[in-house]
Amino acid sequence: MSRLDDLRGPVPARAHDARAIAALAANPGCARRSLLDAAGVDKDAAARHVGFPAPFGQSQFAITRGNVFESLVKENGCAELLRLLRELMGLPIAQVGYQDVENVGAHLRASHTRALIDRAARESEDSAVFYDHPLLSLRIAGQTSYLEPDVVAFQLGGRFHVVEIKSFSVIDGQAEPEKVAAAARQAAVYVLALRALMEELGHDPERVSHDVVLVCPENFANRPVASLVDVRRQLAVLRRQLARMTRVDRLLEDLPEGLTFSLEPDADGVPTRSAGELAEALRRVPARYAPDCLAACDMCMFCRDEARGCGSTDLLGRQVRDQLGGVSGMDEALGLAEGTREPEEGQEEIARLLRLADRLRRECVA
Amino acid sequence: MSEPLDALEQRIAELRAEVRRAVKARDTSLARLLRADLRRAERAWDEAVVTEEAGKPAEEAGPALRESGAALMPIREQVHQALLLLGVPTAAKLVVAVNEAFFAGGLRSPQLSSLRRDEERSFRSDPYARPYYLCAALTDRLSPARGLLADSTWPLEVRVVGPLSPRVDFLTTAVRIAEHLTRLAEPPPGAVRLLSRMAQNIPGAVEGGFGPADPATVVGAARAELEVHLPADTAQRAEVAARAGDQLTDVERLFGAAALSTLRGAC
Repeated sequence: MSRLDDLRGPVPARAHDARAIAALAANPGCARRSLLDAAGVDKDAAARHVGFPAPFGQSQFAITRGNVFESLVKENGCAELLRLLRELMGLPIAQVGYQDVENVGAHLRASHTRALIDRAARESEDSAVFYDHPLLSLRIAGQTSYLEPDVVAFQLGGRFHVVEIKSFSVIDGQAEPEKVAAAARQAAVYVLALRALMEELGHDPERVSHDVVLVCPENFANRPVASLVDVRRQLAVLRRQLARMTRVDRLLEDLPEGLTFSLEPDADGVPTRSAGELAEALRRVPARYAPDCLAACDMCMFCRDEARGCGSTDLLGRQVRDQLGGVSGMDEALGLAEGTREPEEGQEEIARLLRLADRLRRECVA
Repeated sequence: MSEPLDALEQRIAELRAEVRRAVKARDTSLARLLRADLRRAERAWDEAVVTEEAGKPAEEAGPALRESGAALMPIREQVHQALLLLGVPTAAKLVVAVNEAFFAGGLRSPQLSSLRRDEERSFRSDPYARPYYLCAALTDRLSPARGLLADSTWPLEVRVVGPLSPRVDFLTTAVRIAEHLTRLAEPPPGAVRLLSRMAQNIPGAVEGGFGPADPATVVGAARAELEVHLPADTAQRAEVAARAGDQLTDVERLFGAAALSTLRGAC
């Protein structure tokens, strides 16, 4: 692993939170991200240093709104959540137990969560339904990350369910697919951590359900509504991605000797390396930019600029990129569409489609 | 537009900018003060604009009157009033809601955050000097439960909480609020709203829809669910209360034993 330490330089490694881990699963093909994450490089600081700070982090209003909604769902011993689970999963009336893990104080939360989950798994009859403010840990690439699911619910058919409370609204039974996907990825991280904990405690990890309870405001009111989200696919992607992180050797082999993303600060806390050098180092590792990166990765602006610079089709999104398979750049695609460039062998089909699209566009514009 | 209005608008704009700066600098106490100033300025603007429209001073200064009424009673008395009505350990948020619905109103949750600590300090320096103390509810580890306020004159069995207690206390609270509503000749609309919101989460308490809940129905439904939980909860509470009675000192019995290695109670 010393090669990874070289990459990071003499600064402490950054721990990952659930969002960061979930973002890993969002773009599994990106070598740059895999490498930076495996080495624990502070991507935000790196992006800022090379002059492409990400417009990142939620707005204060969104955070406040999220917190208010979460406290509404959880108030009075999770009264709202209890109603939702009774309606959604037929939770028996007698099951109402509530344990606030945070009662023991912040520093003991992880061990208390462990003890409570262990007790619940062993004597499933009398244990509580809700575990509020739990703290789980997950080992990733040699570091321990601490994760805080909103609530862990038990007693739904003897299985644990992760409850994720989000403040985007479900309107007429529909929510924005991207937000649901992001929530599912995040919840998958919690499921994975909870399963790891169960395994460690010697219980069957399958007792943690792959169905996650997603709680959102309904329509335009503040009334919460719950739905089940199956996160099996996200779990699979996540597992694969985490396994890759421990097998980054293959990526490392292709790297030039002496490459580093070190952000070693001088006395004033300013990185000692020049921005140009760092950018050069970053460019040595191929990225796989897609517009979704803007929502998930600190390096997004840097990669987008790079993709624009070389006219890559990645800018247009995954779907378009896949349809333009075999066409290397935007110049080439435009050339094929306007007929100024002869299609090479194997490009006839896509060239015909591009010309058709070009003709349709002309007709519309004219 | 007249001059005082212009001046006020300018003042409001300045205050907004200052609030933004304070928030950015993470100076919460300054921001709170500035926000209060801002609210006052905005209220003054509201009044001024009405006066200008009608050409006479605004008569119905409803919120202002209410606020002055609220200030007559100390915060601990107001909290105690709400706790007396509810009779179970209650979260600060619900105390504020009950105070708003039935009593003077004007309490805010942040005002309650230091209450327990102040009461503890007072008790330590001069035990049992006051007729009652606002104290903590105790968890099954005999540590103070997060965010719950209780009355020191209640028996220990009421002041400890087990895993079932949050639900039992929620149902009891709903019953108490509903019963109090039936006693009032003119139920305040805010209280009816509060009860309706709680009733949504009690099975059988509302006959569909979001309309105002009927207090009698709520009492019936809540009692029905209480019957299921009460025996187990009473047993758990009695066990914890017996332990608390045996093991804790007077102060700890009211304010909870400090959790292991927690660095508090230094006063």
